[in-house]
Amino acid sequence: MDALIVKADAIQPFSQKRKSNKKSSPGDPGPSSSSKAHDQTWKSIVKQSSIPKSLRPTKSLPDGVVLKHNHIANKKLRAELVKTSSHIAQSKALLEDAEFLLTGEEGKMEVEGEMERTWRVGQTEIEQGAGQEAAKGRREFRLEGGPYRSRYTRNGRHLAIVGKTGHTATFDWQTGMLHTELQLQETCRDITFLQDHSYFAVAQKKYVFIYDRDGVELHCLKSHIEPTRLEFLPYHWLLVSIGNAGYLKYQDTSTGQLLVEHRTKFGSCTTMTQNLHNAVIHLGHQNGLVTLWTPNLPHPAVQLLSHLGPVSSVSVDPSSGGRYMATAGKDGTVKVWDCRNWKGTVREWSVRGTGDTEVEWSQRGSLAVASGGSVNVYSPPSIHTPLPGHTQPPLYLTHPIPSRPLTSLRFTPFQDILTVGHSAGLSSILVPGAGEPNFDSTEADPFENKKARREKEVKSLLDKIQPDMITVDPDFIGGLAPVSKLTTNQTHQGKPSHPVEVPFARLSRMERLKIQGKADETEVVEGGEDGEGYKKDKEERERRRMRGKGKSLKRYLRKQRKNVIDPAAVAIRAKLEKQKQERKQEILKKRAEAAGVSLPGSGKVSALDRFKRST
Amino acid sequence: MVKISLIQHDISSHIPRRPGDPTPTSRNLDPNMHPFARARERTRALNAAKMDRIFAKPFVGALEGHVDAVEVLAKHPDSVTNIASGSWDGGILVHHLSQRQQLLKLPQAHKGKVSGLCFADDSRLLSCGVDRNVKIWKIDGDSDHPLSVLPGKAAINSIDHQRSSPIFATASNLVHIWDETKTAPISNLTFPASTETVTAIRFNLSERSILASLGSDRTFALYDIRTSKPERRVVMQMRANSLSWSPTMPTSVLLASEDHNLYTFDIRHLAEPTMIYKGHVAAVMSCDWSPTGTEFVSGGWDRTVRIWQTGQGHSPEVYHTKRMQRVTATLVTTDARFVLSGSDDGNVRIWKTKASEKLGVVTSRERASMEYRSSLVNRWKVDKEVGKIARTRHLPKPVYSASKLKTTMLEARRVKEERQRKHTRSGESKPKAERKKVVLVEQS
Repeated sequence: MDALIVKADAIQPFSQKRKSNKKSSPGDPGPSSSSKAHDQTWKSIVKQSSIPKSLRPTKSLPDGVVLKHNHIANKKLRAELVKTSSHIAQSKALLEDAEFLLTGEEGKMEVEGEMERTWRVGQTEIEQGAGQEAAKGRREFRLEGGPYRSRYTRNGRHLAIVGKTGHTATFDWQTGMLHTELQLQETCRDITFLQDHSYFAVAQKKYVFIYDRDGVELHCLKSHIEPTRLEFLPYHWLLVSIGNAGYLKYQDTSTGQLLVEHRTKFGSCTTMTQNLHNAVIHLGHQNGLVTLWTPNLPHPAVQLLSHLGPVSSVSVDPSSGGRYMATAGKDGTVKVWDCRNWKGTVREWSVRGTGDTEVEWSQRGSLAVASGGSVNVYSPPSIHTPLPGHTQPPLYLTHPIPSRPLTSLRFTPFQDILTVGHSAGLSSILVPGAGEPNFDSTEADPFENKKARREKEVKSLLDKIQPDMITVDPDFIGGLAPVSKLTTNQTHQGKPSHPVEVPFARLSRMERLKIQGKADETEVVEGGEDGEGYKKDKEERERRRMRGKGKSLKRYLRKQRKNVIDPAAVAIRAKLEKQKQERKQEILKKRAEAAGVSLPGSGKVSALDRFKRST
Repeated sequence: MVKISLIQHDISSHIPRRPGDPTPTSRNLDPNMHPFARARERTRALNAAKMDRIFAKPFVGALEGHVDAVEVLAKHPDSVTNIASGSWDGGILVHHLSQRQQLLKLPQAHKGKVSGLCFADDSRLLSCGVDRNVKIWKIDGDSDHPLSVLPGKAAINSIDHQRSSPIFATASNLVHIWDETKTAPISNLTFPASTETVTAIRFNLSERSILASLGSDRTFALYDIRTSKPERRVVMQMRANSLSWSPTMPTSVLLASEDHNLYTFDIRHLAEPTMIYKGHVAAVMSCDWSPTGTEFVSGGWDRTVRIWQTGQGHSPEVYHTKRMQRVTATLVTTDARFVLSGSDDGNVRIWKTKASEKLGVVTSRERASMEYRSSLVNRWKVDKEVGKIARTRHLPKPVYSASKLKTTMLEARRVKEERQRKHTRSGESKPKAERKKVVLVEQS
């Protein structure tokens, strides 16, 4: 028996450990017996065991990175939290290491001389300077059939184009392989790919149609009437459309059901874009409003008066995690907004030329603005820096296109290419530094083969996010739950250091009523904390009480004082309160007049008041 | 002069070099490239939790052969497959688990029920019964005659053998220590002035001379056979039905109590249990540690088998079938992958320890994805939906309603006590911690 206990003392029993911890003061440097025992155990283990090389920490973390969570009393929870935060810090450090492994080089354009400007460099010069292979991106598609709109797949490999009069085509633009070419022979207003290049949706004269890669019509979505713009939310598998009637409709393309339709109440809408980082739909309206929509709200999450006159184009910056939004209006201005704080613009400037202005952000944060007969590109740091006044940011690149109007702008993902749709077809221009050089194969791979595409489709269906999880703040998932209203922070045995959350069911009746907002708190007395003060206060009030005024009403109220909200009693109470306030104001005013000083709350305050002599 | 460069993807580094090569992948860990990372991970965790429940098919098979209720199960300490079971009709069966065959069949080993079984070296089996005899059997021999019969004076309730020595102990109205070579007990151990019946007895697994026993008058006692005297004893609120020493923590012992709970005690500090495991809705009849020491199994009068994680006193894994009656004996096999339960219906059932574990060959990719899934569920278990799916277990209706009733009763009792406390003078009656209620008195 004793032998067992002696042997087992290598690991201290819990009770003794606790005592020894209490005895040793924090300043005591001497090693306690428990730490010695720990060392022995550690030594015996460390000889035989080692962590695999791949799992060893690459570098020691600096102090303060790992949170200590000292404020948490529960030891198990604290240990768990410390473990988690050290893991997070470790993986952050590893993330920095991983940046060395990115091999792709971003495009750039730099001028040497002081007086030279990048915008003076034309497309022919860029073509010559970039090399033959890269210059393949510079193309001109001369096409009949009205102004064109275009859309790339997420991996940037395939392009879908649609003309106003119904010419539709999808193709692999790099190899030049045409998937399909259709003459729909009716008005087509927009086109979008679904999850990948194997399906695309076209907003036609009356309905939205879905075609497969070979151009076979698969579905006619009759619930989307007279659509003007289409968006596809890839992680939610939702096809979103807005039409002339002003209805925003969400269709789940994995189950086929029409999820929800919102009546915007702002009339016909021809401007829509999505925020890639939170799947919120941005709409621009005829009255200058920009509204942000989610499927689970019947009204806009944000409503913003951005322009005087119709909004012609909206775009959200993908490089900053959806932080910046650019809008262009028919009033001839382009504005950049901060989506976290809607108070005023970050920048705004006027553009030359008439007609609709188009805006589009690239993956690396370059902003393209098409207005009149030219496309201007502005580069990131200057667009994001707030600047008051109407100053145009420094121009990075400009390119004139004679065939007006310019109707669509699309940057190619993972390329330095901007595709402009106009009345005579499409032209692709080279914008060095616009695209992200390093793609991620798990998200979008331009070089994926058939098998990888199929696997990705299945995986992304499995990972499909439920549409009701779309919110303006995507980080709410996995965040801390808001404190429940049905609990209170009662202190445990009067100790302020350990607030205890008491469940609703265990609260007293008064507290439950208080939380529910049903308690009648009219009898709360100010200054009633200690008995003495309370008594005094009561006496004072008793002395001051004006007898005979409104007595019947007050008596009625006194009788009504129960923990029931009675609308009549509430109204009378409010009335009495109002009368009391008015009387108070009256008295104050009179006093002030008597003193000859105008009251700051009442009447006009003059700057000269300070020179008045007080009597 | 201007310097111009454009993005150029090197195609040769993104397509396989030769046919048959894996396609090269590239990674970019920039969070901007991975929108909805958290939301997607949560969806994955939700799917993982659902898949875990879909594949949860814990029942492997039943070993038949007994005519009456199974009373006791014993595992061979040196073998993964050999299991012995004894029943109320006096029959003993030795099963081979992987072949599901009976290695030895002794239909009339004892008169009356077989109350204890244990394995000894050289594949010998010791059994005892209420017919006052201890019998020693040879497993691999064909004869159904015992090697030896040691007569006792009273009905024997439990037996345990020391590893690698001829000493064993039996429990009747007192604890007898036997030597296999002698026909009479070499010593008796009992507390002075105790009239109890000893119901269970186990040797410590690392310190072989330490012996723990349970008595019918709610006691748990420790003896040292070298001094041949009792060391310590505690009287508890309710009696315990079964005990098991931890295979990894030599000072820790597990008791299955009549009051629906399991308790772990540190034998250095018997005043209160180190942990209470609550979940059963009737008396716990048996318990056994997994050889890893991280989990243990218990079987109860409520017709369920439950698997507990050490240190987590609630929400165990629950196994039940329609035909399984009161579980009287449980075991974890020596490879910790299977759980055995013997019940009143006369069957010994084999269950998986991890309900959704796949039996058979698992490829490394499959294993990696299973590990990923389990860590996802673990990470997102605080999420409402994921946690609910991962936590919820289907219970038979009587068990479910009993557990609801039990919660209601306990809650009512708690409220009543609280009210009583509110209306007595402050400080007069203090709430007592649940752990301190267990042990009534400690004697030595």
